[in-house]
Amino acid sequence: MHEMSVALEVCRLAEEQVGVEGLPRVVGMGLEVGHRSGVMADNLAFCLDTLLTHPPFRAARSVIRRTDGSALRLEWLELDDPETEYANTP
Amino acid sequence: MPVRTIEVKKNILERNDRLAEEVRGRFQDAGVTAFNLISSPGSGKTTLLERTLQELDGEIPIAVITGDPRTLNDAERLARWTNRVVPAVVAGEGGCHLDAAQITAALDAIDLDEVRLVFIENVGNLVCPAEFDLGEEAKIVVFSVTEGEDKPLKYPLAFREARYAILNKIDLLPYLDFDLPLAIANLGSVNPELTVFLTAARTGDGLEPWFRFLRERTGALVA
Repeated sequence: MHEMSVALEVCRLAEEQVGVEGLPRVVGMGLEVGHRSGVMADNLAFCLDTLLTHPPFRAARSVIRRTDGSALRLEWLELDDPETEYANTP
Repeated sequence: MPVRTIEVKKNILERNDRLAEEVRGRFQDAGVTAFNLISSPGSGKTTLLERTLQELDGEIPIAVITGDPRTLNDAERLARWTNRVVPAVVAGEGGCHLDAAQITAALDAIDLDEVRLVFIENVGNLVCPAEFDLGEEAKIVVFSVTEGEDKPLKYPLAFREARYAILNKIDLLPYLDFDLPLAIANLGSVNPELTVFLTAARTGDGLEPWFRFLRERTGALVA
């Protein structure tokens, strides 16, 4: 299934970014899916719903922005940030 | 827990595209022409390749990378005509396309210094394979007269991404209601730049222009 391959690649990119940022978990992600990208946004969301239940994802939400053109991009990630929590602790 | 939002803005197929560029570089460095054949199942890709190997393999050393969700049937058919067949079997029955990582792995089994032409016989599917750059020089889309004149309209991405189209099984035209001028018009409406070959791989009709094209593209024949 094409969208599952794309979803797996999204997860690989996200995991790579988790390593770069040194943060433990992904809790959200935003994607851009162009109408001419050859990817069905609903199918991709379905695949991501399944994959994003496993670590380092914590029931992460996916937000898909549909656009004209052929873009297929991971736009942003939301990561749990314990350092910010400790920094904010009085 | 607080959340940090970071901007990524990465092409999801970036890794595939990077690997494809590396593959393209390997082909170019070795002076090898590579074509990625995409089609729906049953269009006649394997028969076309069998005919091509029969006709040209003694003249132009050819390697073939085949992709199928299951079985080595295509690879075994082609292995009758050449010992340079590498099956890149797509894992599992849900596999729907080849990607550049699979081509990278397949190239480990091919001595590019010994070949001049590589065919990648993609998984029979007109949707997903159109999306993936495999490092080929060009995509060739194959469809047949038993599939209907509207294939280019139904699967425009595959026909837009391709530089060449092969309309196969023209030997069956007398037995079908297939509207050949309409099919050609549909091809042109989706991609006016397409070069079109009309072939009957089973009987051999129409293959001479295809063979001539391959000879020209590989330098075996000066155009």
